[in-house]
Amino acid sequence: MRVKYVGTRPAPASIREFISQVVRGRAPAISVRRREIPYWRERGWTRTGNHYTGSYQTPYAAFQGRIEEERSGRISFYLYSPSPQIRNHSHWICFTARGNEWYLVHMARRPKDVSSGILTIERLITEAYES
Amino acid sequence: MKKLSVVVAGTGQIRDVEIQPGTTAGDILHQLNLPDYLLSKGPNEPFFAASESVYDKVKDGEKIFASTKAEVGIALCA
Repeated sequence: MRVKYVGTRPAPASIREFISQVVRGRAPAISVRRREIPYWRERGWTRTGNHYTGSYQTPYAAFQGRIEEERSGRISFYLYSPSPQIRNHSHWICFTARGNEWYLVHMARRPKDVSSGILTIERLITEAYES
Repeated sequence: MKKLSVVVAGTGQIRDVEIQPGTTAGDILHQLNLPDYLLSKGPNEPFFAASESVYDKVKDGEKIFASTKAEVGIALCA
């Protein structure tokens, strides 16, 4: 079969980069250290004394939150301005108005730490939007 | 074998484990000495039941959370 010469063209950038790496050699890998931080801090909450402020975050919505940790270890979780989806959820009865659109979220089984409580409330919000 | 990084939510401590097919959430929590905890893939995923096999529900190298048991509710709705 005859071959017809039609000219030359530059190799694609990805191939040029690959060949360039082979010629230069690989740069040493950078070891990235894992952050070991509590979930509340990972989610952007801030702490002042025994008070935490931040937001409960889900793919559907985020709600401003406040948490108070008493010396006894009792932790109170508050959520600001719950949406209609939360108000229509079967657990709405567990929200108690505390004024100015803040609601105390009652825990039948109390978490032992702030992070576990945030996870629980975020899961509840997700349920409210998926039900 | 799959590697998992179990993040203890309260402290952020990461515990690395290797699991075999059939390993349950209860096996992992027992091994890590976290008896009052539950495992989940995150706040938008349900908790693994203690007897539930975790192996085929996680990817190799995945990060999962261990959080203490908690439930929103009062006597009427718990």
